Amino acid sequence: MSSLTDYETIIEAVLFAAGDPVPLDKLAEIIEKDKKTTRGILANMQYKFEHSARGIMLRELDGSWQLCTKPDLDPYIAKLGAIRKKPGLTQAAYETLAIIAYNQPVTRAYIEQIRGVNSDSVIMTLMERNLIREAGRDDAPGRPKLYETTEEFLRVFGFSSLRELPPLEMNEIPEAFENLPAD
Amino acid sequence: MKSALTDACTLKLHNFEGPFDLLFYLIEKNKIDIYDIPIFEITEQYMEYLAAMQELDLEIASEFLVMAATLLHIKSCMLLPRHEEKTDDVLDPREELILKLVTYKKYKEFSEVLKDREAAWAKVHYKLPEIIPVIQQEEELEVSPVILRQCMVEVLNRSRQRMSDDNRKMQRILDQEKVSLRSKVREILGILAKGIRFCFLKVFSPLTRSRIEIATGFLALLEVVKMGRASVEQPVAFGDIYVTPEKAGKKRKKPENEGESDLA
Repeated sequence: MSSLTDYETIIEAVLFAAGDPVPLDKLAEIIEKDKKTTRGILANMQYKFEHSARGIMLRELDGSWQLCTKPDLDPYIAKLGAIRKKPGLTQAAYETLAIIAYNQPVTRAYIEQIRGVNSDSVIMTLMERNLIREAGRDDAPGRPKLYETTEEFLRVFGFSSLRELPPLEMNEIPEAFENLPAD
Repeated sequence: MKSALTDACTLKLHNFEGPFDLLFYLIEKNKIDIYDIPIFEITEQYMEYLAAMQELDLEIASEFLVMAATLLHIKSCMLLPRHEEKTDDVLDPREELILKLVTYKKYKEFSEVLKDREAAWAKVHYKLPEIIPVIQQEEELEVSPVILRQCMVEVLNRSRQRMSDDNRKMQRILDQEKVSLRSKVREILGILAKGIRFCFLKVFSPLTRSRIEIATGFLALLEVVKMGRASVEQPVAFGDIYVTPEKAGKKRKKPENEGESDLA
């Protein structure tokens, strides 16, 4: 096999069989091409899936690629009747997640400082949902645990990477506040 | 203001995530500019909320009380006559609170974005991974006297090289060998599978095996005997051990003289 379409065929088959996101490196290894070429092929595939009459699409998750169904087909898939939805998150959970997403890795104290309220149980919930994970410890006294978002976070909220987070307009906040102690 | 407030009390009280959330609600409700909070009104309303919460017998989290104290503190600061020293440097007592509120607002707004995105992306479905078995291909053996000879020469060369280098020799001595009991049990079971009786010291000969290998081999043998897969005999003290395969499942006690082995 040599033409680009052939590579697309291989990648499509591999991603279908894999189900889970497959890292770019792995795909490049499979089609025996360098990463840049593989990325190009994937971008082309993504475009084609998006703009043709297909039920599935290709999405990127932090440098890995995965096939999934298109969102507008959800009502039809729901008719299969086997999809179990997880209970929604609380307002507190979204707030905490927002703070972690923009400041990661971040300590619990920092989160609580912004929210003005104890966030222990919220962090536990987010950990259970695999939306955040521990990311070592801070050098501050007491060596508090640090938290960061996971690939699951990107998947659930539809980001292909953390770079995709919309910029948080913080410029109206004077420096004095940014220098507040972390805990 | 007040009537609307009492309405909201009964409806929304338990929904506040924290003091900022409550303050925020008050600010939006009264259409106040966040950068110019009328601290007197806000403090009054805030305290009313706390009172309402108490009336409703809701547990008030300590954070709400801390905020109440902060608000009262700011209020008192503003009541005090200001010293007209350096007009530029005079900090508005509300500033810290405002900054915190603005920051909180940013994240609160983003949390709404997250909520919407989650709803949108929940409509996407994934497939579970296929179980792809690892295919083991057995390579055909390619053996010829020429290859064997070539291998032998390579081995000899390698060992000569290794032994000529003192550092390497030292390294070899220092390197701790890792011998697992499990692998030795497997080895003995492998021999037993052939259904023949064998001598322990012929297989685990000090000439070909390291000390640790022989010791582990002996432990493995005990394990195999315990499993009932073999029986052992040692006719002469310190002599060789004869291992006889047993049919699986048949348990047998270890002969007493086994413990006398010099390998134990």
